Amino acid sequence: MGKHKTFCGSGDHAISRRGFLGTAAALGTAAFADMTQLNLLSNPALAGELKKQQKRVILLWLAGGASQVETWDPKPGAATGGPFRAIQTAMPGVHISELMPRMADRMKHTLVIRSLNTKNADHGGASKLMMRGRRDEANVKFPDLGAVVAREMGRADSKVPDYVTFYTQTEGRGMAPGDAGFLGSRYAPMELTTNNMPENIRKVDGISELDHQQRADLRDLLSKQFAQGRTSPTLGSQNEAYQRVRGLMSSEALFDITKESDKVRDMYGRGQFGEQTLIARRLIEAGVPFVRVARAWWDSHGQNFETHQEMVPELDQVMAALIDDLKDRGLLEHTLIITLAEFGRTPSINPSLGRDHFASAWSCSLTGTGVKPGVYGKSDATGNKVAEGEVDAAKLFATIYSALGINPHKNYYLGARPIPLVEPGTEPITEVLA
Amino acid sequence: MRSRRLALLALFVAACVARADLLPADRPIHEVIDHYVDAKLAKVKTTSAPQVDDVTLIRRLMLDLVGRIPTPAETRSFVESTDPQKREKLVDRLMASPGFVRHQANQFEAMLAGPNSRGGGGGLRDYLARAVGESRPWDQVFRELLLPDEDDPKTKGSSDFLRSRVSDIDRVTIDVSVVFFGVNVSCAQCHDHPLVNDWKQDHFYGMKSFFARTFDNGGFLAEREYGLVRFKPTKGPERQAKMMFLTGMAVSAPGVKEPTKDEEKKEREKFEQFKKDKKAPPPPSFSARAKLVEVALQSKESEYFSRSIANRLWHRFIGYGLVMPLDQMHTENPPSHPELLSWLARDVHSNKYDLRRTIRGIVLSKTYSRSSKWTAETVPGPGTFAVGRLKPLTPMQMAASLKIATTDPQAFETGKPEELEKRIEGLESSARGFASSFAQPTDDFQIGVNEALLFSNSDKLAREFLADGNEKLIGRVNGISDPPKAIDLIVRSVLCRPATADEQRVLTEYVTRRTDRLADAYRQVIWALISGSEFRFNH
Repeated sequence: MGKHKTFCGSGDHAISRRGFLGTAAALGTAAFADMTQLNLLSNPALAGELKKQQKRVILLWLAGGASQVETWDPKPGAATGGPFRAIQTAMPGVHISELMPRMADRMKHTLVIRSLNTKNADHGGASKLMMRGRRDEANVKFPDLGAVVAREMGRADSKVPDYVTFYTQTEGRGMAPGDAGFLGSRYAPMELTTNNMPENIRKVDGISELDHQQRADLRDLLSKQFAQGRTSPTLGSQNEAYQRVRGLMSSEALFDITKESDKVRDMYGRGQFGEQTLIARRLIEAGVPFVRVARAWWDSHGQNFETHQEMVPELDQVMAALIDDLKDRGLLEHTLIITLAEFGRTPSINPSLGRDHFASAWSCSLTGTGVKPGVYGKSDATGNKVAEGEVDAAKLFATIYSALGINPHKNYYLGARPIPLVEPGTEPITEVLA
Repeated sequence: MRSRRLALLALFVAACVARADLLPADRPIHEVIDHYVDAKLAKVKTTSAPQVDDVTLIRRLMLDLVGRIPTPAETRSFVESTDPQKREKLVDRLMASPGFVRHQANQFEAMLAGPNSRGGGGGLRDYLARAVGESRPWDQVFRELLLPDEDDPKTKGSSDFLRSRVSDIDRVTIDVSVVFFGVNVSCAQCHDHPLVNDWKQDHFYGMKSFFARTFDNGGFLAEREYGLVRFKPTKGPERQAKMMFLTGMAVSAPGVKEPTKDEEKKEREKFEQFKKDKKAPPPPSFSARAKLVEVALQSKESEYFSRSIANRLWHRFIGYGLVMPLDQMHTENPPSHPELLSWLARDVHSNKYDLRRTIRGIVLSKTYSRSSKWTAETVPGPGTFAVGRLKPLTPMQMAASLKIATTDPQAFETGKPEELEKRIEGLESSARGFASSFAQPTDDFQIGVNEALLFSNSDKLAREFLADGNEKLIGRVNGISDPPKAIDLIVRSVLCRPATADEQRVLTEYVTRRTDRLADAYRQVIWALISGSEFRFNH
């Protein structure tokens, strides 16, 4: 073990002792060496390995907190069950809300988790938690799911962005921006908040294509000169970023929805959520490892039922279209669709006929690669508590990483300090992993 | 238990190097730095990179001290000066300038915010600017941040540091320990630190006890007379934490008896009244927070405080700490140069925490002015300080320097230093908006595609820095008929040095191939330089 011990390797967090000692030994004394190799994807052998198994993620982020009762975990007959019925799905014995008939037909592709207890029912903290699977420490700012997937699945020389997030509506946007944390801006998302075309991806008028290219070559030449005799991870990342500019600019067409047929566009629907999800499909098809599409205004403190009557069918249509489309293209087996929010909504109905924030027994769904379709966990008869198979944020993230073929106990290094991907001591829900 | 603690304290003190073995206290700081760094280099048989030339030195000093690159005239006058004292004189002039106050306030603000940047906003920065401007000693700043007096105009804004964190006392405990004492006790929250004997759960909860009585009372910080922290240790029954500093030094608080329901109610009403009156409640008769400040600054305990700030200043100016990471200062993670850190900490302490003194000493050392280029085979590790470290520019350094680089150099030749200062200050404040396009660098910082796309395609960048205009570099360049002369001016303005022969050739060729659109060609050359690596770093 190196003489510098700077981290937390306690048995209380149940890190495998051997694994822990192994990494520490491999680390040796040259703590610095690790970060200069931050991008291990530049190793061709490793890159090939990853390419083979490259998986992609589309996260449908239901900002504000969709109600589990009006989606995945209906409570017909309960006093707080609300006006909607539960319907039989293609999975024998499994019922979901009648607002999701298309998903009911496609339940054999989807895993629903009905036993999330994530303990945080405040938009800000909960959004951060459910995007990261853990809470920041004083001096450690954790990367979110998108940044981790970008880091694990992205390619250094990729011509497409590796983390794209659509968040057009304003509700909760400031609370859940994409965030690469300590992985640094190399893995920061390309964030789209105003329209469906990324910022600064198009050449400005006033410079010709050729000049744009040649001034970049000039920049490259001068910067290479400077880099002689100098090594720094930051310097490397800067030049790598500029090398990706031309490729990213050529990915402009991926964001152009008019390239799709009317039939496909109708299938997703012509609303913003449908269109952005269709762009997400175009992106992952071109090799983008992670895309988030945020759909806001789920925070139904008043008029919960009208809100869900309007919004759940849209979610149903978009999700079903995405599943069908990915399946047709042979992409479903490589892609994980996650529908998740910062929390669910209370079973109790308030005087404004709304449901409030609720993190004690709510639901999410995972569809596609690495997971077994079905239902995991149970809330009690009233939906107030988890009755079976409690899952917290860390466990959910361990499950997601495992489904993607990423070892959830893998360490990143902050200097010499190993930082495990998920909260130490957390295991995935092995029963649902395919 | 007690003897164990004493043993640990002894260990820590041993790691701090016996004072008697250190170089005398009256030796100049820069000499002491070079003595210890060179001694270690000799011991590990490593040579060091040569000293930088004058053009690199003035750029480095100005970026580090006043947060911007020099103008061509500033560079020229430094390079042409034959005064053997010119480096000292430049350092003293820069440190006496308002730019020093602005830049160091930004740096302290980033340091207090930490990587999670829970900054306090404008109020805290204004406070820090006043504190740096008046050269307030670091212990006074620490006191004013932890014990803010809302009625004192001198310390206005200092309460932002605690107020922005007070809703989460764990966070306050961790952040204060990290920022002021260089230790991260967050591991010890759930269990005794497995690898670092220094940190027990008692330490985390001991530190937390100093803050547990503090809360937000309608936008004002308030502190109760009572309040105990109980925790469940990994072994044994739940117990009550002692107010205890990181050294194991415990404090017995008077009136530890918890209040009756009635007393509690009375106190609540008292605080409600202050809330209604929109007034800051007075401190309690015994303030746990004040006790922490007192204990942390008493002779033995102050080791943590002095060593942490010495390490942080070293990191700020050299680019890499004597102890890395900055929040892992403990016996199991020794400094690269134990004597040097102990000497600097002693110097900071015995000179009443005058940070200007330490800063001046660091930037006058030869260690500070080594080239960042290493041409031989194996690059020495960063902890040897044999090679200068590339420091990515901070958002404000970047934005302000972009302004300076792309302004017509004539605009800075006003003749009067006060006018120049005013002009620079104006440029800096106009740069603040653009600064938010960049990320605050951290250790092992990575630059992402967003920045490269911003430079490549942003309309705003083109308008702000590359558009024609009277006071723009591009305007001045367009008036020069001889391309090599124009190139020379561009390189001097952006990179603060003359162009090399190769650059002259390549860049002149680039523009002469575009004689039909010469202005565009110059714009593209300026672009290639401001987006390039050399500009992006303090090198």
